[in-house]
Amino acid sequence: MTSLTLRSLASRKLRTALTSIAIILGVAMISGTFVLTDTINKSFDDIFQAGYEGVDVAVSPKTVEGLEGDTGPVAEPLPQSLVARVAAVDGVAVAEGSVTGQVSIRGKDGDAVTQGGAPNFAASVMDERFTPFRYTEGREPGADGEVALDAKTAKDQGFALGDKVGIVGEEGAKRYTLVGVAKYGDVDSLAGASFALMTVAETQRITGRVGQVDEIDVAAEEGVSPEELKGRVATALEGEPVAVRTGQESADKQSSDLQEQLGFLRTALLVFGGIAVFVGAFVIYNTFSITVAQRTRELALLRTLGASRRQVLGGVALEAFLIGLFASVVGMLGGLLLAPALTGLFSALGFDLPTGGNVVAARTIIVALLVGTIVTVLASLAPAVRATRVAPIAAMREGLSEGDGRHRRPYFATFLLVAGVGLLLAGLFGGGSGGQAASLLGLGAAVVFLAVALLSPRLVRPLAAGIGAPLQRLFGLSGLLARENATRNPARTAVTAAALMIGVALVAFVSIFAAGLQGSVEASVDRAFTGDITVLNTDGFSPIPEGVQPAIGEIPGVASSSAFRFAESRVRGVSGTVAVIGVDPEVAGSYTATWKDGDDQLLRTLGDDGVLINNGTAVGDAKDVGDTLDVLTPTGKRVTLTVRGVLDEGDFDLLGGGMVLSTAVITKEFGVRQPALLSVAFDDSRPKEQTRKAVDDMLAAQFPNVEAQDREELKESQSEQIGQLLALIYALLALSVIVSLFGIVNTLALSVFERTRELGMLRAIGTTKRQVRRIVRLEAVITSLIGASLGVVLGVLFALLVSRPLEEEGFVLTFPIATLLVLLVLSALAGIVAAIMPARRAAKLDVLEALAYE
Amino acid sequence: MPDIVTATDLTRRYGEGVAAVDALAGVTVAFPAGALTAIMGPSGSGKSTLMHCLAGLDTPTSGSVTLDGVELAGLSDKALTELRRDRVGFVFQAFNLLPVLTAEENITLPLTLAGRKPDQAWLDQLIETVNLTDRRTHRPAELSGGQQQRVAVARALVHKPAVVFADEPTGNLDSKSSGEILTLLRRSVDDLGQTVIMVTHDAKAAAIADRLLVLADGRVVHDGDAGDADQVFQVMREVVA
Repeated sequence: MTSLTLRSLASRKLRTALTSIAIILGVAMISGTFVLTDTINKSFDDIFQAGYEGVDVAVSPKTVEGLEGDTGPVAEPLPQSLVARVAAVDGVAVAEGSVTGQVSIRGKDGDAVTQGGAPNFAASVMDERFTPFRYTEGREPGADGEVALDAKTAKDQGFALGDKVGIVGEEGAKRYTLVGVAKYGDVDSLAGASFALMTVAETQRITGRVGQVDEIDVAAEEGVSPEELKGRVATALEGEPVAVRTGQESADKQSSDLQEQLGFLRTALLVFGGIAVFVGAFVIYNTFSITVAQRTRELALLRTLGASRRQVLGGVALEAFLIGLFASVVGMLGGLLLAPALTGLFSALGFDLPTGGNVVAARTIIVALLVGTIVTVLASLAPAVRATRVAPIAAMREGLSEGDGRHRRPYFATFLLVAGVGLLLAGLFGGGSGGQAASLLGLGAAVVFLAVALLSPRLVRPLAAGIGAPLQRLFGLSGLLARENATRNPARTAVTAAALMIGVALVAFVSIFAAGLQGSVEASVDRAFTGDITVLNTDGFSPIPEGVQPAIGEIPGVASSSAFRFAESRVRGVSGTVAVIGVDPEVAGSYTATWKDGDDQLLRTLGDDGVLINNGTAVGDAKDVGDTLDVLTPTGKRVTLTVRGVLDEGDFDLLGGGMVLSTAVITKEFGVRQPALLSVAFDDSRPKEQTRKAVDDMLAAQFPNVEAQDREELKESQSEQIGQLLALIYALLALSVIVSLFGIVNTLALSVFERTRELGMLRAIGTTKRQVRRIVRLEAVITSLIGASLGVVLGVLFALLVSRPLEEEGFVLTFPIATLLVLLVLSALAGIVAAIMPARRAAKLDVLEALAYE
Repeated sequence: MPDIVTATDLTRRYGEGVAAVDALAGVTVAFPAGALTAIMGPSGSGKSTLMHCLAGLDTPTSGSVTLDGVELAGLSDKALTELRRDRVGFVFQAFNLLPVLTAEENITLPLTLAGRKPDQAWLDQLIETVNLTDRRTHRPAELSGGQQQRVAVARALVHKPAVVFADEPTGNLDSKSSGEILTLLRRSVDDLGQTVIMVTHDAKAAAIADRLLVLADGRVVHDGDAGDADQVFQVMREVVA
């Protein structure tokens, strides 16, 4: 039996290859994801280790686990006076305060230096034993007007010693003289980030931390262990809001913080890999079903000759195992190629990831091989069992049959459908945490897909009739034959179409959801942004320098400007974190909030202990005006806040995401200094276009990484950001669609093979090759349109379901009809592409051989 | 009567070198219009190859074939396909109907392929002739073997081809159905003036022919009147033994 299996696989290399591709792509995505994220982790690990080489103990501001912002830990820097206190500790050889902050380094052309989105930093020069920088040219900056650059930035921008380098910080732009070029450890740059090294005082000034340091690095005297010194320093700083770690611990903490952030990326990418594998399972199932049917005679002959059912089962299962293993190995290797491609995809869409050489962990290999092989074997199980039911007598009978053709009552499918919808509802309304809800939704969707796939053989005939009718009118006999061929074996067509259905459903769902999101955000901007312009970072999400707001305030024609700052907090009695928005007292001048209890005047009088909560998103026990909240800030401080009013903002409104407090509280207690955005109102003292131009000119000169947008521009840029994310998701879902196209290729190729004699007769009595090709092509179009229309319907239903709980938050469900129609057209085109090879094969059949074919 | 199909010095060689086999080793033969010719011969005699070459399904190694005045050599696949579609009818041993089409749709297939509409009166007459009037909308799976082959005969005649090739048309049928098919073929010649060329190894089938052609080892070894079944038997015994 084993050698028979091997030989039959070898004799059908093309089919084996086509079948394998269904699994290869998904496995490649999974292994590629692991390789990519491991590689990123590894390159950062190296960087962090290098960064703490020579540091025995590091003192940093205390932060609260889980409340770090999106761009790293938010913390009030340490007062510089602590440096002297640490230096005085017994056993300390050197203690030095360091400052690092984001700035914008300008190239020779005046444009921002971007290694495709990697950040720019200003960092203070440090003692030789602490700093990871090694000067290759020139020297360390010694005066406030001097700067050194990392080797990569200097090289890429063509800077030479003595050149002037523009750097934009909190206080605006300033020009420095380049006096040195340094490598980071042994490499030219730190994962693509650009560094400007300056004196401590200048770094403090440009990052807005005068009199403060971000970290104190300590070297121990000979004979004092880092552990011991850590204890001594901690004792000396008892009561200060600091965290004391050894150098090794600090490096490890940074690594693990990063891993956590990357965890989301990994999970997201694995989900897309999982979808591709799921779709691949349909293709495998179908291919095995068809080949088992076509080999009925062969299997029956084996049974006649005395093969047991177990041997037949084993033979088919072994075939699946071998294909699965082969596909997994190829897919795993493909992942090595896919990892750089993913990086490329991300950077093409503006999300840059640093990479070094590929890191292949043992886990990557094991997971890839297991997933691919197990899924393939599982998918082939039902066809394999069907193979064992072939009666020996079938060897004597004419003709082929697939399955028993009877429609069993769809109890199981209906049960699955109900269960799937139940899971979806549990995910949506069950009130589980974000991760739980997402898992439930994913599982529910998968179960619904399975159920619809099982039910869809019943839908094939009516759908094919609907889709085939216009084709028949257009192409006559070819259309009729294509339609008849598509419905000849509804189960086969259904599973083929179902594979495509999954990808199409997800694409449809995502596009509907994104359209709704765009509409909701636009509606919110229209309603609430009553000012003239919004000022924000050119990248759309990073905070802006503190200096922007005062600079704008000085421009004639500006009536008021008000800053919004974001942070995370923990509130006693609430699991998870609560978002915090800090607003200026003037905010009502340019932003209109919606209220349940209170009015815009309350925004002026939040003071040091006032907070606004949102209707519907109760924060702990606090529901009404007068209730108090016990809040833990990211810097580890505890503040008690009193509810002054209740907002009625939706999730898509700026003040709807969490609780609102004053700028004073969020800067002082939460350590958030940089605004996320400003909303600015103009007065009528001069034409508004002039004021806008003055703002634009000031920003271009002093803060080139900040831009002003009016309401239309803001809506546009918000839509653009959603659009970018959408493009990324489309690209990742394309993988699943490609897998399902291979399913169509496979099914058609096998069907053509099965109908050899029929095609021979058609050719003999005068069907042209062109007509034969068209018949096959139209069958593919019908199959793919069945899948696409089911997919669009499912996508719409999913969107309706998922948007239900969001409607209260102001989510406006809109159907991008044009996009959905394009999706259908693309599916039909994809069907044509999938049919190229099978159609050519069908047309190439030798008439005589086809007629003699048994 | 003019000749509808002629073959001149036809050879067909399969394989190369020492393994080469001449299925046809120089056959020159002409088929006049309005006659039913039976081609017989033992297995491997080249009778099927001859028919395939005459019908443009196979390409001879050398020699020439004309069909309805058209020289087949050098025709493109497209031209050959159109020639078959418009001027040739086929009846196969294994019926070869499309399972997804009704009896009537199967019959009109050659016309539909050419994008032409059937002449309704002619179609009705034809369907009545093959006695399938009450089976028009049935699928092949719902028809008996004899009925299926009658559909195939009607399909071969529907576009009034220059010549009908029948390849063992009774090979898969019982004797009653065989008789019906043979009668149909005979009537198509007598009543409609069709030209029919039939390959068979059934002496009874050959007996309805006007002319009997016997092949052995790729050559024509007998060409004469068919006579009745006994006479056919006798000819076969003489020339093949």
